[in-house]
Amino acid sequence: MGYIELQITSNFSFLRGASHPEELVEQAVSLGYEAIAITDRNSLAGAVRAHVAARKHRIHFILGCRLDLLDGSSLLAYPKNKKGYSQLCSLLSTGNLRAEKGKCHLYKKDVYAYKQDIIFVVVPPATLSAGFELDAIFIENSTEYAAHLSGQVYLGLSRIYQGDDTKRLFRLYDLAEQLHIPVVALGDVHYHIPERRALQDILTCVREKCTIYTAGFRLHPNAERYLKPQGEMERLFASYPEALEHTIQIADACRFSLDELEYVYPEELTQEGRSPQEELEIWVWQGAKKRFNEEELEKHTPTIQMELDFIRRKNYASYFLTVYDYVRFARERGILCQGRGSAANSIVCYCLEITSVNPTDIKLLFARFMSDARDEPPDIDVDFEHERREEVIQYIYEKYGRDRAAIVATVTQERVKGALRDVGKAMGLSMDALNRLSQTIGSHWDSTLEPDRFKEHGFHVEDPHFRKILELAEQLIGFPRQLGQHTGGFVITQGKIHELCPIIPARMEDRTNLEWNKDDLEALGFLKVDVLGLGMLTCIRKGFDLIKKHYGLELELTSMKTDDPQVYAMISLADTLGVFQIESRAQMSMLPRLKPETFYDLVIEVAIVRPGPIQGDMVHPYLRRRKKEEPIDYPSEEIESILERTLGVPLFQEQAMEIAIVAAGFTPAEADALRRSMATFKSKGEVSHFRDKMVNGMVAKGYEEEFAQRVFKQLEGFGSYGFPESHAASFALLVYVSSWIKCHYPDVFAAALLNSQPMGFYQPAQIIIDARRHGVEVLPVDINYSVWDNTLEGEFEVKPHKLRLGFRQVKGLKEENIEKLMQYRHNPYTRVDELADMLSVFTLERLADADAFRSIGLDRRQALWEVAAIQDRQVALFKGQDTASPQEKQIRLPFMSDSEHVVQDYATTGLSIKAHPVSFLRKKLDLLHVLPTDKLSLVKNGMPVKVCGLITVRQRPGTAKGVLFVTIEDETGFANLVLWGKVFEKYRREILQAKLLMVTGHIQVEERVIHVVVQQCFNLNSWLLELENTPEGTAEGVFHKGRNFK
Amino acid sequence: MLKRYAVLWFPFLLTDWYTKHNPQLTDTPFVFAMPERGRMCVSAVSPLAAELGVIPNMVVADARAAIPKLEVLQDNPLRKERLLKSMGLWCMRYTPMVSVDISGYLILDITGCAHLWGGEEAYLQEIYLQLKQKGYEARIGIASTIGAAWAIAQYGQHGTIIPDNVQQEVLSTMPIACLRLESNLLERLKKLGFRTVVSVMQIPPQVLKRRFGEDLGKRVRQALGEEEELITPLKPVIPYAERLPCLEPIRTAKGIEIAIEKLLGMLCKRLMGEGKGLRKAKLSCYRVDGKVKYIEVGTSRASAHIAHLLDLFKQQIPTIAPGWGIEVFVLEAIKVEEAIPTQELLWSGEGNLENTALAELLDRFKGRDTHCRIRRFLPDEHYWPERSIKLATSLTEKRTTTWRTDRPRPTHLLNPPHPIEVTAPIPDYPPMLFRYNGEVHLIKKADGPERIERAWWIEQGEHRDYYYVEDDQGRRYWLFRLGHYQGDRSANWYLHGFFA
Repeated sequence: MGYIELQITSNFSFLRGASHPEELVEQAVSLGYEAIAITDRNSLAGAVRAHVAARKHRIHFILGCRLDLLDGSSLLAYPKNKKGYSQLCSLLSTGNLRAEKGKCHLYKKDVYAYKQDIIFVVVPPATLSAGFELDAIFIENSTEYAAHLSGQVYLGLSRIYQGDDTKRLFRLYDLAEQLHIPVVALGDVHYHIPERRALQDILTCVREKCTIYTAGFRLHPNAERYLKPQGEMERLFASYPEALEHTIQIADACRFSLDELEYVYPEELTQEGRSPQEELEIWVWQGAKKRFNEEELEKHTPTIQMELDFIRRKNYASYFLTVYDYVRFARERGILCQGRGSAANSIVCYCLEITSVNPTDIKLLFARFMSDARDEPPDIDVDFEHERREEVIQYIYEKYGRDRAAIVATVTQERVKGALRDVGKAMGLSMDALNRLSQTIGSHWDSTLEPDRFKEHGFHVEDPHFRKILELAEQLIGFPRQLGQHTGGFVITQGKIHELCPIIPARMEDRTNLEWNKDDLEALGFLKVDVLGLGMLTCIRKGFDLIKKHYGLELELTSMKTDDPQVYAMISLADTLGVFQIESRAQMSMLPRLKPETFYDLVIEVAIVRPGPIQGDMVHPYLRRRKKEEPIDYPSEEIESILERTLGVPLFQEQAMEIAIVAAGFTPAEADALRRSMATFKSKGEVSHFRDKMVNGMVAKGYEEEFAQRVFKQLEGFGSYGFPESHAASFALLVYVSSWIKCHYPDVFAAALLNSQPMGFYQPAQIIIDARRHGVEVLPVDINYSVWDNTLEGEFEVKPHKLRLGFRQVKGLKEENIEKLMQYRHNPYTRVDELADMLSVFTLERLADADAFRSIGLDRRQALWEVAAIQDRQVALFKGQDTASPQEKQIRLPFMSDSEHVVQDYATTGLSIKAHPVSFLRKKLDLLHVLPTDKLSLVKNGMPVKVCGLITVRQRPGTAKGVLFVTIEDETGFANLVLWGKVFEKYRREILQAKLLMVTGHIQVEERVIHVVVQQCFNLNSWLLELENTPEGTAEGVFHKGRNFK
Repeated sequence: MLKRYAVLWFPFLLTDWYTKHNPQLTDTPFVFAMPERGRMCVSAVSPLAAELGVIPNMVVADARAAIPKLEVLQDNPLRKERLLKSMGLWCMRYTPMVSVDISGYLILDITGCAHLWGGEEAYLQEIYLQLKQKGYEARIGIASTIGAAWAIAQYGQHGTIIPDNVQQEVLSTMPIACLRLESNLLERLKKLGFRTVVSVMQIPPQVLKRRFGEDLGKRVRQALGEEEELITPLKPVIPYAERLPCLEPIRTAKGIEIAIEKLLGMLCKRLMGEGKGLRKAKLSCYRVDGKVKYIEVGTSRASAHIAHLLDLFKQQIPTIAPGWGIEVFVLEAIKVEEAIPTQELLWSGEGNLENTALAELLDRFKGRDTHCRIRRFLPDEHYWPERSIKLATSLTEKRTTTWRTDRPRPTHLLNPPHPIEVTAPIPDYPPMLFRYNGEVHLIKKADGPERIERAWWIEQGEHRDYYYVEDDQGRRYWLFRLGHYQGDRSANWYLHGFFA
């Protein structure tokens, strides 16, 4: 005899199965199974994981699926071979595409249409009727299946300890005999060990949206749905030996393995019958001639040749061609793009114009990222302008067809917070307690459930009920929850994609997703390409366009020389508002310390202000060494070669991994597995296993244990939040280019940035203030001068131009509503009613609110008054006749003060160019001895100060425990506030409710970075009301709440 | 007659109500919240929360971020309206004309009512203090127009009484929001710089109308008393009168008697419903020739007893001269008083659970024998047999789930299960015989096991394997083994119930 389990529900049947596919496979291995099947509901999403686990443990994995039909009994389906597999994928795809996301609508007729080379098993019902009969519908369905699927269908038998198992089996066997179909034993497994029953019950509660106390009969009565030992199954089915034999029979028949799937590149990539390698080489050499002059070319030829040889050996030519193809498309269309990722910084990519960073300039050696030993697939992510990425995506769809290109899925996992909430809710905790629980888990990189931290928040950690919640939540962390869409990963194939993997509809129309995520695809050797969107590229392109139009200078990413000292001087002053990546407060406070002078300094700057290096405490050693306050030493020569570029401090992800390889004796594959295991939550045990291995390995090689521990800690931080050097290099280029524009053309930079909103850290008001500080005159929105976008006005090539605000800054306006105004503006408009036919009253009111009628001599109030009369205009038959309005006595509208205008400007456009709101309060503030922010630099370190301003950013980074950073703004500039945890707790309300905040504290100066360390806070929102001279004004509501980072 | 109105505004209606029923919240800032476009938004704030800066329509997450100890309760959109209505009904003791505006206030037409409480000042105080005692904070204004009273309640000084014809003076300095305008219009006026009522009153009405439509002018006129404003009373004041038109003119005494009985039937039904009785009633008989005849009756105590009243009328029927016949009868209760209703009909219910006799019978049983326990059980959704039934708390309690029929369950469940000795093949096959109360039962037929695990969230322990067995006498039992069979110790078996 013998037995093979054929019915297993893993946690990829969301909220049903309570074990990971890996756990099930491993349990099967330890029980001595030779094969195992996973049959999730209408899905193959977990199949690759099971396949990988089975491959690792060398047992046979039978790919299967449970088909839940809308009009019939459920079936289990197992493809016998590749043909059957593509049938099954097509079947599931049909059902998925028919239904909304997350559902699969299948009918019996679909099964009959795609039945070839698939073995089916009818899932038996759980109960008999009161008269001990099988359900009539089940009998009917089985009869139909027996007829339609004859020769390839079995009737399943299962024993789940429900009391009438014997009778049920008897009935089922009887039915099978009547229908002449064989029976097969099934275990209906939902978890790998009986101890998971509680978690499975919790999942049921989450699914049914009830608590464990009200779930009742929706739960299973016992814990029998675990993977049983073969001997036990043999005993249970002793009376039906053929049912056991048939499990083996099915397992033997289904020899299909996912390894048989062969990824075939689309053949459109090559022309004239060339091989991909030949095609690639032609393009690379052609590009090289364009990129380099003869001397350079000669110098780089060996490198290019070396890379091409490597690509040939690894057979990656098609991959590079695929990326090259759509990058070329983007370039033809004038869409800016920039590649990043391990392979992107190769000289081949530079020649193909996939990246604009010349790797040889900064000694980014391809070999450092790719080598024969590391069996990683190449990885090139290409960022496009975010507003035009869709064009590239549509190009891909059009070129290959929708049935050959699909977007990769992402599996959303239960995180700590979500798991605690789900379990807590199911265990009947009140909303209040749940919220408190969530608060306990601060930031998302805290992934442990230490009881002590709950104690601090007033939970009874000794309470068994609470212990159970923690225990179950711990188990739930890392469970897949739903399939999402990857931001831009595509798989493009030669054949039909739905024959390779079931596809599911994406939320966006006309897009389809695969069921597998990038790890799955990698495991099967499918290659994905990434098409991503990046706001800064949009901004840079708009900037380039404006420079060309107004200053006659044509620029390209590739043509930028990265050595302008003026640009580096500006960066060193932290004058980087709006610049890519280095605009955040943390970055800004780092810049004066780091004082970047070369492009590589920018690469480091981008990488250093990341949670990885910060948590691993690498920032300060690096700064000290850079300033030569600390000797640069290396624990060994081999490490010196790795860390030389970064002064002996590991800052990039791959440096840490290289150390693991060189110093701790990891194989490259192990190092990669280590990085992966840190990025996911599911295998905490694995991480500590790696820790021991790494530390012991390093100590064995003669390194200090402390050094080893530190490197490992750094590695931990890198896992999910570090930057690889190649990414940093690609980003650094964008940093440089955006800084360059800001430095030389602040007018262009502000306009381009405003026209690319929303993006980045800052509000339009702050961008405008910054532009004016750089000498740019800003002109208001006006019906006679503005267009939709923000524009520049001025004489050609004369610096700087004036910035004319566009209609896009006006809240509530849509581009299509304003089109006619621009279309018919041949001569300036002189009266409001000229616009009456083109624009709706709503649009006119918005324009009046925005004070856009100044050029015809009306302020916002007068304009609004005129607009109000338009509603009474003569229409149709009486059109053109005078209304009563002109005869009206002129009404004197209440006078509007400057401060009122400013408040209204903020209300309608989020900014005012008339004045800063705080300027109206300056007299009052002077009486309180409040300093303007630009005077802070005159104050000595440690002296007490008072400052006041509008809050722009509140930030509480997870890397600085409990400390809150606040930025305030007044008419003279910014001030950076620091609040220690206790101060924040005390003034929590003031901080979170205030829009206008006054603080007292003292100055802290560190290398020209000025902070105010806060002692007291005052909410001055009521002062804002005074700007309108009214007690029930709207002033408070119009100012931006300030950006919160939690 | 000069109209007078009081407007009551409850700034903390919902939270006051909730605090009243949950006094432990008195010192806690709390809010009610409702989902709005996918986010939880504050719908009502308690005074303490308001002091801390929480305002309605705020997003709950923001409020809670600023005030971590803030309690948030789920609101129900109908609750406020129901509560206002009940407050309105309560206010009917001060005037019959009460109108509810669901945006949160009550309008009382107090014309001719205030003097009963000794003037408007005292009247207002009385209402305020009574409400305060009930736990509700109220702001009240009294004026000759609803608009002016409303303006005071919402925007003015609480307790202000505007004498007649000075509303213009008082209102003109008040903010424009006190005109009860819809928010869009209000917003536009504010943008144009109209902040006070007087600023709009200065603009010619035609100009206003052209730009802002009818509403603005209407609200101004209403507030000033230049245009009437009608309210819909919560309960219409209906005179206690009934009409009975006749198909044929009635001329006989019997006919009149029948008519009176019918009218009394209608009138008394309503009176009883309102807990009232009549003291004085008048019957008007409209004759074909246009003349009207009257008769009147009076009672010594308020009565709605039809037979009694009919008797009183009967005495006077002879005094009615029907002439050519009477075509319409009108019966009017001239004086009505509160009355303790008495039963008209003797009870004639049918035997069911509402029948008190059953409950009394059960009580007698229990009283007779203290060991006798009669209980009613209801099904509960649990697999564990002891938990699958629960004790009903009353005779009328309804079951929340159906009795399960898909698994055999004994009619008599032993509590606790009785240990037995069993001979059974291992590991989990049905037993062959068991010994219970010294008697050996040979098992002829059996089914099982049905494995039932404990509710892990309530208790720890071993599962049970249940078997349904039939012995050689045809008697059927429910047996179980506790936990798995384990080689080193003998299994514990129990008898748990008898089948019918």
